[in-house]
Amino acid sequence: MRLVVALRVRDGSDVEIELSGELDASSAPQFKGIIEQAAGYSPKRLFLNMMQLTYISSAGLRVLIFAKQKMGTSTDIYVVGAREAVAQSIKLTGFDRSIFLVEEIPRT
Amino acid sequence: MRGASMKARSFPGDLDSLSLIRQFIADVAVEAGLDSCACQRLCLAVDEIVTNAIVYGYIEAGVKGTVDIIAQLEPTALVIEVEDTAAPYDPTARPMPTEEDLTRPLEERVPGGLGIFLATQSVDGLRYQRAGEKNRTILTMSRTRTL
Repeated sequence: MRLVVALRVRDGSDVEIELSGELDASSAPQFKGIIEQAAGYSPKRLFLNMMQLTYISSAGLRVLIFAKQKMGTSTDIYVVGAREAVAQSIKLTGFDRSIFLVEEIPRT
Repeated sequence: MRGASMKARSFPGDLDSLSLIRQFIADVAVEAGLDSCACQRLCLAVDEIVTNAIVYGYIEAGVKGTVDIIAQLEPTALVIEVEDTAAPYDPTARPMPTEEDLTRPLEERVPGGLGIFLATQSVDGLRYQRAGEKNRTILTMSRTRTL
């Protein structure tokens, strides 16, 4: 199963990236590419919509490190709607200390 | 696994094999009676081991090879052996991330070591052995209930 990524610019200076499918070492470069695109918008908030993401491995988590290091402290990164196994990996590796794990996109 | 307690399959040592391997593991895990949570954890652990073997053992070393998966159903456990023919590489040799590493902000993280950490946290047993010209990682998942 592959990964499908889509980027949407939202109201204000928010960017949403929707991820569908499976995020592993073979599909992580796609995710990285779209993070680089998102960085170009210098968003205040980056929403990673993972409602349709069924799988993540450490390769995907590494892209989260890349995102945080690329966008620095000027962008708040949210992981939205992560499924149980995905959320578990994010918490197990302590990533939820640096990104916001939320059920849905918060109002401004 | 009815009629046979062992299933083996060989996969090309490239990243396109990852999802095929996960599907193979998911199938044997279901047959072994693992619940869906245990299936997912086992798939993740195998994926992490296989990814390291392919990326470091083959792609970055500029060599080609296969990844062989051998699934053995034992009375109380499902045992998965992952074998590759790359240069000796023990995934368990590097130190695990410390509590400090795992609570460090992402901006300060060194992006290594997470894969093997997730793998060892996800299964009941993980060990490595060098077998002739092969790296072999053995992952064990206990069967708490059967279908």
